[in-house]
Amino acid sequence: MNEKGLSNIGSSTSLRMTVYASLMAALTAAGAYLAIPIGPVPIVLQNLFIFLSGLLLGSGWGTASVGVYLLAGFLGLPVFAGGVGGIGRFAGPTGGYLLGFLPAVCVIGFISNVSKTNVVRDLLAMVCGSLIIYACGLSWLKILTGMTLGKTLAVGMYPFLPGDALKMAAAVPIAKALRPVINRE
Amino acid sequence: MAELNVLGFHAGSSVLHQLDVRFKLMFLVVISLSSLKAFVPSLSLLTLVLMVALIHAGLPLKMALKDLRYVFLLLLFMFIARSLSVPGSSVVEFKTVSVTREGLYEGAIVCWRLVIVIMTGLSFVLTTRSSEIKAAVEWMLKPFPSIPAKRIATMMSLIVRFIPIIFEQAKKTGDAQRARGVENRKNPVYRLKMFSIPLIRRIFERADKLVLAMEARCYSENRTDSLLSSGVRDWIALVGVVCLCLIIIL
Repeated sequence: MNEKGLSNIGSSTSLRMTVYASLMAALTAAGAYLAIPIGPVPIVLQNLFIFLSGLLLGSGWGTASVGVYLLAGFLGLPVFAGGVGGIGRFAGPTGGYLLGFLPAVCVIGFISNVSKTNVVRDLLAMVCGSLIIYACGLSWLKILTGMTLGKTLAVGMYPFLPGDALKMAAAVPIAKALRPVINRE
Repeated sequence: MAELNVLGFHAGSSVLHQLDVRFKLMFLVVISLSSLKAFVPSLSLLTLVLMVALIHAGLPLKMALKDLRYVFLLLLFMFIARSLSVPGSSVVEFKTVSVTREGLYEGAIVCWRLVIVIMTGLSFVLTTRSSEIKAAVEWMLKPFPSIPAKRIATMMSLIVRFIPIIFEQAKKTGDAQRARGVENRKNPVYRLKMFSIPLIRRIFERADKLVLAMEARCYSENRTDSLLSSGVRDWIALVGVVCLCLIIIL
């Protein structure tokens, strides 16, 4: 019937990457609830998993992973923080950040090298990714709330920067440890 | 895990439950988009229609609202931000900040619209099985030649299937590390690293087993499609929703 589809997934690598990408998406969904309690503010793991999607899966599969995650949420499957999915979450104040994940992962995967760890490249990739996420998130937040740029930054960016720095610092050794597990060929 | 399960499918036999999922998805998009153009009279009309539909469907609204409290907190924040930032005649003044009449009005309208969008999404999620959503995705993506519709549908099922497993694994990992006194380590990077590496490694080990199992069972994308059927009822509902949206926009 559909021979093209059959031959595409016929090879084991393709099926394995499909499952891995779904898993990273599930981790991203779960990451909104997983937090490490340190100090007064717990560190939520969702961005860390977004970074890792790009670092571990690369540009193509990483983008696919986040794209399917967003599509699942868009269609109302319960994958976003706060439980409810649906278009409502994209229209809500945090919608811009969610949409920003997609180009961010693409860029992170593009800049970093999936098969070999290079600390500088990985860090650069994550900084660029974060910039993209904040650019999307903040502009949507600003349109929606009508706040000035300064206020939007104070609410939607500055409080999260220390956490982001910690996550980037952690993502480099995590990616280094896990890359051999994922790219075994 | 409880947080993720409450807002799932709830069985019932109302009109909302029986409509074809493709039509429901279309309604969801159309109503959400047109509500962004609505003002007080049409918003009231939409709210009324939604309330009737939700009550008719017999959905666990109290539970759903309790689950959504975090979203309402965000809306409240947006309302306050709007009411402070829009210029106009002030109602209350406190030092340098002033709450304006225009700001209150605009904030209320924006929040009302978002509540409508959220409630529409809620009524969809509560009355539709995730297998139906998956089938609808496959159906919608089929016309696009370059998008592997079946693979995407499979990935979506895998996501939903894997979320509980991840929570279980995360709890095990956290417990094991607490038992070894990880809370004495104050370095957050160390804690992040030591939590994520075993968690992700174990999840991927499970994935390998899953891939083996799928291959052993001759998994391929050449499968029978799920059955979707639409009837007269769906077309009547479509006409109704289109009329409603036209009233809202015009």
